[in-house]
Amino acid sequence: MFGTLQNYLSGIQRAWSAADGDSLASFISLKDKHIMNRNLYVENPENTVERMLDPPIDEIVCAHLKVLYYLGMESRDFMQAYRQQSQCIQSVVKMLQQLKEENWCLPIMYTTCLDLRILAQKCEDLGSSSKPGEILEKAADCLMSCFRVCAADNRSSDDDTKRLGMLNLVNQLFKVYFRINKLHLCKPLIRAIDSSNFKDSFPLPEQITYKYFVGRKAMFDSDYKSADEFLSFALRNTPRNFPRNKRLILIYLVPVKMLLGYLPKKQNLERFDLLQFHELAVALKEGNVRKFDEVIQRHEIFFIKCGIYLLVEKLKFIVYRNLFKRVYIIKQTHQLDLRAFQAALQFVGETDMSIDETHCIVANLIFEGKIKGYISYSHNKLVVSKQNPFPPLNTVS
Amino acid sequence: MTNQIKGTCELFCPDAEAKLRIKERLLHYYELKNGEKNVPGQLVKAFARSAAGVKAPRAKDLRTEICLQRTVEYLLKDIILDKRRSYNFIYDFIFDRLRAVRQEVVMQQYNERQTLKLLEPMIIFLGYSRYRLCEEQIDNFDAKICNQHLQECLKRVLCCYDDIDVNSLNLSELNRRSFVEAIYLLFNLGTTEALNRALSLPTEVSKNETFDLAYRIAINYYQGNFYRALVGIQKLPHILSAIAALKLQTLRRKVYMVFAHAYTSKQLFVPATFLCKLFLYEDVRNLLEDCKYYHIKLSEDKSSLQFQKSEFNINAVTLKETHESFVEKKLTKIYLPEVLLLKRV
Repeated sequence: MFGTLQNYLSGIQRAWSAADGDSLASFISLKDKHIMNRNLYVENPENTVERMLDPPIDEIVCAHLKVLYYLGMESRDFMQAYRQQSQCIQSVVKMLQQLKEENWCLPIMYTTCLDLRILAQKCEDLGSSSKPGEILEKAADCLMSCFRVCAADNRSSDDDTKRLGMLNLVNQLFKVYFRINKLHLCKPLIRAIDSSNFKDSFPLPEQITYKYFVGRKAMFDSDYKSADEFLSFALRNTPRNFPRNKRLILIYLVPVKMLLGYLPKKQNLERFDLLQFHELAVALKEGNVRKFDEVIQRHEIFFIKCGIYLLVEKLKFIVYRNLFKRVYIIKQTHQLDLRAFQAALQFVGETDMSIDETHCIVANLIFEGKIKGYISYSHNKLVVSKQNPFPPLNTVS
Repeated sequence: MTNQIKGTCELFCPDAEAKLRIKERLLHYYELKNGEKNVPGQLVKAFARSAAGVKAPRAKDLRTEICLQRTVEYLLKDIILDKRRSYNFIYDFIFDRLRAVRQEVVMQQYNERQTLKLLEPMIIFLGYSRYRLCEEQIDNFDAKICNQHLQECLKRVLCCYDDIDVNSLNLSELNRRSFVEAIYLLFNLGTTEALNRALSLPTEVSKNETFDLAYRIAINYYQGNFYRALVGIQKLPHILSAIAALKLQTLRRKVYMVFAHAYTSKQLFVPATFLCKLFLYEDVRNLLEDCKYYHIKLSEDKSSLQFQKSEFNINAVTLKETHESFVEKKLTKIYLPEVLLLKRV
């Protein structure tokens, strides 16, 4: 593609004069075919580029060509490439500031920011930083400088405002912050998006990504209702031909749903290779504490890696509730001896369960509304409501 | 930032400051010889905010690393055992002087290991003091500021831990890390942030017995199994049980509320002995007092309680932390400087 450097540069010049953001974006994308062209690997392209291109695009292209040079070397130098890409973003920021009241240039920002994040990630994977997460954090600072320009653009008309580029950047930033485990940094970004007038006019794919991340954030903040809402939105709108993305969403949506009282279907889990949750659901349904603990232990690494370990642990009280419900069904009475619960708990693996602890567990289930009734301490009995003593969990708030 | 200053002062208090404070008679009680008026004894550098207009510190105004360590040891060994004044008075002095040490750690840009050595004892000191002074009035002790400093020190130290390869730690360093990680977890009991950190720790740290106990308390608390959390807290060693005891009132309030729902009845009673044991009260009178506060009714013979959902005072703010007898017992058995300086963890 393009053959010579001159051809490439004149292509850019044409796109620049035509204000064609999409073409320009592909000219400087690291995913485009032109990066295979060895003629573009130039260590010091300044003179040639400045001769053919006008500022501010010249600096951007210069930095891009240097990135290609470092990536094209015999031993690829990702660190240098990353540094040049940061340089490139700084030039993009300059460009954004110069092109007032226009937003056709946003695709350029999207591509360069995406490439920066991927390069930073690559450097991290290779262990190039002294502290893990350091390079990604620096990259996030770079992205933030773009974000600030976009967020501050409130004078342009709604069609031309750079604020339309905010969500794309926010998603990039989310990816970094989740990776380096700095979730508290997400809060101001979420506020910026939620208070923006364009909340619903952002492109759907960007909205899906956004909802996926805010859903996970809500989950970490123990706000399960919102997590359910956001993640369900993401799942519903993700097209069928993206099974990998669907799986990513389900990893978080399934345990949230389980906590809210919905059990997943085996065939759905099978389709996305998430049978871990099926095992969990079976143990949960049976009220089998031993099995439940076993499943968690067996898949501990998976759960921790996905950041859902605590969420799954939280299901424990639902396991207790299901066990107690079975005791109730067997006993067929409204006055249940707490020793029966204690025995049941001991039977399913809580071998050191005392009667006092049994009291506390039942008490907590009543408090949470998962059992309707009251305890009589002196008779050592749980008296359950005649109607619906174990209300379906999805009706319990 | 690039030019690193290295302290050269070998005294607890640099000459310039000592001269000035002696001349201006700005000496603290603990800096006077035998408490005599105006006879200077051992001075320790006081904390001064670094602000605009203040000259950048010179090397001779900053202490050497060894000297800083000696300062910390002096404060946490000699001063803390000095019984002439009340503890809140001692606390104010040590707090300020340790703050100056912490400031120098930043100014001299110490590396992770140097920082740890100086900051770890501060964490134990702040944690211990937070408990010891929890019953004080606000004009004697500001719990909020103490919390803030403790949290700051903890976060700083955790960052240092993260940057040191766990395999390069020797056994005692590893134990110290586990201990401080346990403090962080208990001090932040109930937050998912602290629990998530606990989950991501290297096994070398998390397999430590004391840490594991703290972790189980935290996860039980998170799951809503208050019984096990309460039982676990009793088993914690000295300082850790003190820090966990700071959460007891919150925990008790929660369980009172749960019980007000679960045992709600106009006829039935729950024996005080059961509650006393569960809530870790040594004296049944404390239980009865707290129950009165939350509007939980007493039986006539005062041996049992009557819970009623509608009566429970949901607007009552959580009671102030108190000294718990099971903690007090543990604390009488320790030699304080040894624990504060993490000589035996």
